[in-house]
Amino acid sequence: MSEKSLSNTETIAAQATPPGRGGVGIIRVSGPLASRAAEKLLGKIPKTRYAEYLSFYDQDQEVIDQGIALFFKGPNSFTGEDVLELQGHGGPVILDMLLKHIVSLDNIRMAKPGEFSEQAFLNDKLDLTQAEAIADLINSSSEQAARAALHSLQGDFSKLVHQLVDDVIHLRMYVEAAIDFPEEEIDFLADEKVSSSLNGLIEQVADVLAKAQQGAIIREGMRVVIAGRPNAGKSSLLNALSGRESAIVTDIEGTTRDVLSEQIHIDGMPLHIIDTAGLRESPDKVEQIGIERAWKEIKQADRVLLMIDSQQDDRVDPTEFWPDFFNQLPDNMGLTIIRNKADISGQSCGFKLSHDKPTITLSAKTGDGMTALTDHLKQCMGYEGNAEGGFMARRRHIQALESAQHHLLTGQEQLLSFMAGEILAEELRITQQALNEITGEFTSDDLLGQIFSSFCIGK
Amino acid sequence: MWYQDSFDVIVVGGGHAGTEACLAAARMGCKTLLLTHNIDTLGAMSCNPAIGGIGKGHLVKEIDALGGLMAEAIDHGGIQFRTLNSSKGPAVRATRAQADRLLYKAYVRNYLENQENLTIFQQPCDDLILENDQIIGVSTQMGLKFKGKTVVLTVGTFLAGQIHIGLNNYQGGRAGDPASVNLASRLRDMPFRIERLKTGTPPRLDARTLDFSVMQEQPGDTPVPTFSFMGKAEHHPQQIPCYITHTNEQTHQVIRDGLDRSPMYTGVIEGVGPRYCPSIEDKIMRFADKASHQIFVEPEGLTTHEVYPNGISTSLPFDVQMDLVRSIKGFENAHITRPGYAIEYDYFDPRDLKQTLESKFINNLFFAGQINGTTGYEEAGAQGLVAGMNAACRVQDKEGWTPGREQAYMGVLIDDLSTLGTKEPYRMFTSRAEYRLLLREDNADIRLTEKGRELGLVGDERWQRFCEKMENIELERQRLRGLWVQKDHEATEKLNPMLKNPISREANLEDLLRRPETRYEDLMSIEAFGPGLADKQAAEQVEIQIKYAGYIERQLDEIDKKKRHEDTLIPADFDFAQISGLSNEVVAKLTDARPETLGKASRISGITPAAISLLLVYLKKHGLLRKTA
Repeated sequence: MSEKSLSNTETIAAQATPPGRGGVGIIRVSGPLASRAAEKLLGKIPKTRYAEYLSFYDQDQEVIDQGIALFFKGPNSFTGEDVLELQGHGGPVILDMLLKHIVSLDNIRMAKPGEFSEQAFLNDKLDLTQAEAIADLINSSSEQAARAALHSLQGDFSKLVHQLVDDVIHLRMYVEAAIDFPEEEIDFLADEKVSSSLNGLIEQVADVLAKAQQGAIIREGMRVVIAGRPNAGKSSLLNALSGRESAIVTDIEGTTRDVLSEQIHIDGMPLHIIDTAGLRESPDKVEQIGIERAWKEIKQADRVLLMIDSQQDDRVDPTEFWPDFFNQLPDNMGLTIIRNKADISGQSCGFKLSHDKPTITLSAKTGDGMTALTDHLKQCMGYEGNAEGGFMARRRHIQALESAQHHLLTGQEQLLSFMAGEILAEELRITQQALNEITGEFTSDDLLGQIFSSFCIGK
Repeated sequence: MWYQDSFDVIVVGGGHAGTEACLAAARMGCKTLLLTHNIDTLGAMSCNPAIGGIGKGHLVKEIDALGGLMAEAIDHGGIQFRTLNSSKGPAVRATRAQADRLLYKAYVRNYLENQENLTIFQQPCDDLILENDQIIGVSTQMGLKFKGKTVVLTVGTFLAGQIHIGLNNYQGGRAGDPASVNLASRLRDMPFRIERLKTGTPPRLDARTLDFSVMQEQPGDTPVPTFSFMGKAEHHPQQIPCYITHTNEQTHQVIRDGLDRSPMYTGVIEGVGPRYCPSIEDKIMRFADKASHQIFVEPEGLTTHEVYPNGISTSLPFDVQMDLVRSIKGFENAHITRPGYAIEYDYFDPRDLKQTLESKFINNLFFAGQINGTTGYEEAGAQGLVAGMNAACRVQDKEGWTPGREQAYMGVLIDDLSTLGTKEPYRMFTSRAEYRLLLREDNADIRLTEKGRELGLVGDERWQRFCEKMENIELERQRLRGLWVQKDHEATEKLNPMLKNPISREANLEDLLRRPETRYEDLMSIEAFGPGLADKQAAEQVEIQIKYAGYIERQLDEIDKKKRHEDTLIPADFDFAQISGLSNEVVAKLTDARPETLGKASRISGITPAAISLLLVYLKKHGLLRKTA
């Protein structure tokens, strides 16, 4: 087997710097079409391995940004393939516009989380001893991406997308049944139903796309959720971090009944701090709902700060005195133990690893130990934020939706002009494939299952 | 006692899988034994008397393209031929034929008896003879042992069969035949994963007691289609129609009243039945709002009065069957010749098979047909051919081969089975194939015949015809590309009425044919363009290739992208748990399915791209990154 056959034949692109409001943002393109991307974005291919200061253009030849462009010819590049790197200003909107232009080019797609490093490794650009690190990176960045996608998929947008997918499946069910079971007196292709649902779908996609483009649904930055027992001082910590009295603090357990969220910046990097209701068995209906919401937030978090009282014995592993919490916590969730109320327990403030968990002792009330926390969060952002932010997630969604729209329109044309049912079926299959990127897989056997449960099929 | 001769390939079972398996091995020059418990049932159709249909017709044409028998046999035994989906595009058109059971069976038996390199012997197979983890032969009921380098097991319909009629049940294979009980219990001692499935048949009726005048007649198509690429309409015997009638409210009431004695609804039957072929009691219970169900009244042959009422498969007690049949229009005085029944049988988890259908546990042992959890003659025949061919490859020390998902429905079938397994009797549908526009009936030969020739499966006559057809296609496409038409061309007078938009700038004939509204035949009727190909199969290909060109290209692109790690091998004894970062769920799924390649792993439900990346990185780190040839 030649090493060449291992390499990616596809060209991939993604943001290579952590999302957020950093000073510089880098977009990387890797693969055989990297030079074509350069021509389109820069109007030229930069001289190999020389930094050039150039304008970056969008699809309409308007200048989006100016910055440094670098071109590396494979195999002498990070991934071993042709690589284009664009270093521009770090704002998420600009980077998103650049990426949008790149992935609009034929045969260039968004990179999967960790894919650049994976490619580099497979092309012998990284040491074999780094395999574990690459594996970790792929793992953590996939989880990050999944969480970022979840954030982007909230509220109305999520409802619309899921409705859209359901409707595509419903239509495919009719079309596929007509093809695979022509003797069942269910030739839907001939009746109005198929073409009218197709029309409806096309309107729906346009609607979802419009909403997605508005950007109202997007949230950038790492999500940090504060969780813990009632009255552990979670709301005090939120207030201490945000420097505001956002949360009502009392010494009555269960004061925070809903989810409170604050956006803060640490060195210009955005961070969502989310305060949740204390977790306990509660007979109170309202509090129960708050606890449910708290768990929902925890599951979508990039990092959880588990607040405990520093008067607790620190020789006991936290997993032992609260196994329920740890059992419910998603696998590989970033977790930091906050030992609060140092002012009462008299413990020394600061960061240490305790029972293999990052642990910070502080007092939210006096502010002692807060710098240790912000330093720690900054570090987390550097690592965990490395993967994918809301804009990347949204860009993926928009790409999927645009592809879906294109194939629905082609399918409609085929159906109307030529009554070509099998072509419509093919376009719908690809539409679904695109939408699967957002909502997860749906197999041909799932589809058959839908057909058999909806129509009485079989001799 | 050992039989005097030893064999290269021993095929156990003489159904549709066994037939294609032993023929394929014999065609490839292997000394082959067909061991059957009854020579008189070779080629028998145990269920409905028909071959083909959507997805299944595709399989039959693929078997034919590789030199197999099924298409030829049905061309000589078919009494009503139709092209399904003829109003839709060529990719989803499929041929289906009603068979005369006796003619079909006789053709198969005659063919088997005349096949070079093939020996037929009648004795039930009771045991497999192993040496370590390799099979070296089989032994029969009377203690006779056969030595074989490879063995293909195709004993699906008979494995520990249990027949149900009402609340009565007894051991049996197909109605009238014994079940393979000894072999089944012997196989249960081996390290295979075994499950139960269920299927059913309707009661058969005496045509003399039916009133066809109140039923809807369903004639075959004219011109009459053929199955084999070498077939001709002259091969067909006399053609006769089928009929259609319907159940009604009274039928449904009879069934509802009899459910307390249904083995299905009282929980006696545990095996899982097919979702697409429900019994009539299932249909009326699950779709209670449907007032009536279709019944296809299919003749069983030219020389018998028996008919097969397709659509009322049932395991209700005989008295209920009588009442339900006689409630149906045209069946008021029907005489039941054989009662309907449900049958439960063993099948082997096909995930324990390699892509070549060889067992992952026992070397040189191959499985094909219903034993792997499939249903249908066509699915069985396709696997039989692949298993027989791979057994022969093993004997001849050649690399095994199975078509890929992008090459054939056979590939989809075997990949689905060996990667995902199955929970119900597996049947082919075109929606299972992601490359449906490429995998058409009409181009099965173009997809497979060349490879078949290379393997020794395809004889001289077929090969010559294939080469001639390919040349005709190529020459004609060249001719069309070189034929240009301008606005003022003499032919425009006749041409423009055929076009949606009249010709406005220079175009060649391929461009014109690409327009959806044009037909090759019509264009060729214009003097300046004609006369066109006399070779109808080649002409059809030219037209389809040009019409589908854009879509074919796109699917080829998609295939290319997926090829990247498709064939990257995962070692057979690989311990997935040692890869850090894989979730327990993913590890469990991979351990269960034991995928042979990364491509297969990626198709297992719940295996994420990230998991595949982790696998890839691990394989690379440990120097295990190799590809299959």
